Amino acid sequence: MARAFFHDAKEVTLSSQVVQSIAKNKERIVSRGRLLNGLIAAAIVSVLVSAVVWFLAVAIPAKTGSPFAPIRDLCAWIAATRVGTGILESVWVFPIIEGLHLMGIALSIGVLCWLDFRLIGVAFTDQPVSKVWKQVVPIAGVGFALMFITGALLFWAEAVTAYDSVHFWIKLGLILMAGLNALYFESVTHRGIAEWDSLPVPPLKARMAGFASLILWTAVIITGRTMAYSF
Amino acid sequence: MKTLFPFFKWANNTWLGHTVSDSIWLFPAIEGVHIVALALLLGAILVLNLRLMGVLMRERSLPQLFRELETWTLSSLIVILVTGAMLFASEAVKTFYSYPFRIKIVLLLAAIVFHYTISRRLMRKPESELSPLLGKVAGSVAILLWVSVGFAGRAIGFF
Repeated sequence: MARAFFHDAKEVTLSSQVVQSIAKNKERIVSRGRLLNGLIAAAIVSVLVSAVVWFLAVAIPAKTGSPFAPIRDLCAWIAATRVGTGILESVWVFPIIEGLHLMGIALSIGVLCWLDFRLIGVAFTDQPVSKVWKQVVPIAGVGFALMFITGALLFWAEAVTAYDSVHFWIKLGLILMAGLNALYFESVTHRGIAEWDSLPVPPLKARMAGFASLILWTAVIITGRTMAYSF
Repeated sequence: MKTLFPFFKWANNTWLGHTVSDSIWLFPAIEGVHIVALALLLGAILVLNLRLMGVLMRERSLPQLFRELETWTLSSLIVILVTGAMLFASEAVKTFYSYPFRIKIVLLLAAIVFHYTISRRLMRKPESELSPLLGKVAGSVAILLWVSVGFAGRAIGFF
């Protein structure tokens, strides 16, 4: 009796081991396929980003043509204040603010993009949208606050350079559009969330909001970088 | 350090290095891709480590979250390394003398190794076996490492 019992137990563990190893192999194959998809998507995005930078560098003159004097004067005055020149001329302060600005990108856009991916229906699809929203938005909010504060400080130091740069104005326009997109999503689309909260792929309206947010914030990063190079 | 110099010189003289440094738009373009991938990678790392610290997404199991984000982190890490190598090739000799660059490479290696050894092991463990204190310490070390990589990277352009 006892022998039969042990025999059975051995067989059970053996077969469960086989099942486990099959599941493990399957998972490995699936994750390899996902990595390939990820790399293909990464290659496409990389080409698109490079194309946008090329367009900004080659097709548009980097300096604005006719400066609107009163605002330019205001920018000159802002840049000439003690804080403005202080930030610009300091060995440490400017790079540190710039570094914080960069970290703000990861904290805001890098975290918010997971909500966007959920809205499009490519990540966390088994979780309700509202849950992802609740987890992600407060952290992204801190990131955006950090971005705006450090961004304002950087502008303070380089107000005239920024005013003269086309890339700065494009960037402002894109931020405005991203803000309007978020506002529209929060005030209109988000209201009907109860109907599609747990759907793996939300309705077109919500997907569009996710796409728009991803594209606009990526474009903001690109123009932010092209601003630093005068072509 | 001197023994490594020929490698830096060679990198600078490759076709890639010349092409990137001779172009007015290639460097910013590659840097744009580099930073977009950085946002994605650091965002995923932040989400994972904040979950490890018990701050975020507490009702979701950590091994599941790790598996879901694994592809995203790995593909953006590959993009970052490839674009980073391209940027490096275009100014390799300059970076040889740059202290922030040396610091960054050491921190980057440390961060990658830390993520794929310690963090990975902790994140794949069932929740019940994970001590909260260990999770908090490992999570903060990982975040600190990656943030320092970012800062050191930014410093290359300034110092």
